[in-house]
Amino acid sequence: MEMMNVKQLTKKYGSTNVLKGINLTIYQGEVFGFVGHNGAGKSTLIHILTDIVNKSGGSFEILGIPDQHMNQVKKRVGVMPDISNLYENMKGIDFLRYMGELSLANSSKEYYLSLMRDVGLEGAEWKKIKSYSFGMKKKISIAQALLGNPELIILDEPTSGLDPESAIEIRNMITELQKSGKTIFLTSHNLDEIEKICDRVGILSEGVIKKLGTPRELKIAANESKEAIGLIIRTKPVLTADHISQISDDLDINISFLHTKKDYTFLKVTSEDGLPQLSKKIMESGILLYEVKMEEQSLEEVFMNTKEE
Amino acid sequence: MTQVLKREFIDAFKSVRSILILLFITYVSYQSAKFFDQNQDMINQFAEESGIGTGALYTAAIAFVVLIFGFLFVFAISHDLINREIEMKTIRLLVTKTSRIQIVLGKFLGVLLFWVVTISISFAIISLITGAWFLKDYVQTMIFLFYIISFVLFISTIISKTKLTMFIGIFLGIVLPIIGLIAVYSDKWYFIPFKYLLPYNYLEGSIVMTFIPLVIGVCFISISIMLLNRKDF
Ligand SMILES: Nc1ncnc2c1ncn2[C@@H]1O[C@H](COP(=O)(O)OP(=O)(O)O)[C@@H](O)[C@H]1O
Ligand SMILES: [Mg+2]
Repeated sequence: MEMMNVKQLTKKYGSTNVLKGINLTIYQGEVFGFVGHNGAGKSTLIHILTDIVNKSGGSFEILGIPDQHMNQVKKRVGVMPDISNLYENMKGIDFLRYMGELSLANSSKEYYLSLMRDVGLEGAEWKKIKSYSFGMKKKISIAQALLGNPELIILDEPTSGLDPESAIEIRNMITELQKSGKTIFLTSHNLDEIEKICDRVGILSEGVIKKLGTPRELKIAANESKEAIGLIIRTKPVLTADHISQISDDLDINISFLHTKKDYTFLKVTSEDGLPQLSKKIMESGILLYEVKMEEQSLEEVFMNTKEE
Repeated sequence: MTQVLKREFIDAFKSVRSILILLFITYVSYQSAKFFDQNQDMINQFAEESGIGTGALYTAAIAFVVLIFGFLFVFAISHDLINREIEMKTIRLLVTKTSRIQIVLGKFLGVLLFWVVTISISFAIISLITGAWFLKDYVQTMIFLFYIISFVLFISTIISKTKLTMFIGIFLGIVLPIIGLIAVYSDKWYFIPFKYLLPYNYLEGSIVMTFIPLVIGVCFISISIMLLNRKDF
């Protein structure tokens, strides 16, 4: 089922085109990660989807409801906008209660207390939000996005600025939410994190989604489009530049020697077609072959390449 | 909407400024009603000579306070009714949970309720002293405040800086009553817009006239909602 469908969505601030035609579908039960460099327009897209700003063009549907009627779905969508939008003078629990009443959530005190516990804010319930640390504010912003048991949860950088431990807690929480059937749309700067928790990724660049797919798909695509593949070979004794030049004479592929480190030799090859032959040659030359590994492109590289393209 | 209303209403009672204003109005009403009550002869004589009902005299103090200080007091409490949430970006949380129109109406009604309570306390005190509830004056005072609150809401919508609405609020709070009262009696062309746009001219006259400020107030609210619907937060 489609939880969200975005078509040719555009946004202009004055004469700057921030979004130039976003097309995107989010399906039920998935965790979708939205990445892009600072100022790419990730928050802008979230703001449009959540009625914080108006679109300039295009259209979208959330939970099957067209964008003109977004008020109808607000109770079913949980949103954490960028941080610093909290009522600093309220106590944590009062803030949640106020937000909860707006979402028509279950209004028992126990519910709010347990939610605060879930996001790791035990002990801070009765303190004013202005006394919270950055991480605590982030956590209570996440908590308010979960009020009312929403089907779709939109989180703008839920883990940025958190200490590693808190970030792990939040990531676990997101995974738990997914298990309970929620759909999650999040933005992040942390590509490792995206790779760990997201089913699909969209890379936003220059106002459009340049790449879209599972982290694995994006990495494979990136490897295929690469001119040279990195190769790591572990042997005893270690392969030297001399060995390589001897072996590669009889092979169809181009091999260039980079360097060695302990038992490992780092090479670059133009195609993977000659790899079986290469392994055979190495073994025939009396060197013990332990491991041949192709260097995988990280999501980070995929991302960096998107910027350059 | 009710949640925003409730929050706005409760917050009003948490602010020193609004409590002081409430106490001031209550005190003035009480003292004046007590004064008139202890000087029945004078009141009857005055009512006879001027043709004004005795009720109007009892409520004169409230009327005076609201006519002269109404704008100033409402601005003092609510000049940042809308723009503060935009400035602090807390509005972002509200709009993700409820519609913009409900936010505006909730805020308006919350402030209105504060004034209904404040004015009702004064009228209740007068009623205790005189044994009568002066309904016409009560309704008129409320309509006047309805106008002022919607005007303040409008200013707080079109001006985005809270510091600016504070200064403009003080300025308008002093200047508008003066212009408004002069405009009622002046024939100068440049007073004409003020005569018809400000609520002072509608205090005397037919029942229909009395309700015109209510209509203007609704216009202020509607324009504010329209503007906020188009706004990017
Ligand atoms: N209210 C605004 N008015 C003008 N420009 C804005 C506004 N909000 C964001 N922008 C601009 O839009 C671009 C995208 O911002 P944003 O969506 O916050 O990026 P991201 O979240 O990807 O870092 C930036 O260049 C930013 O300066
Ligand atoms: Mg952002």
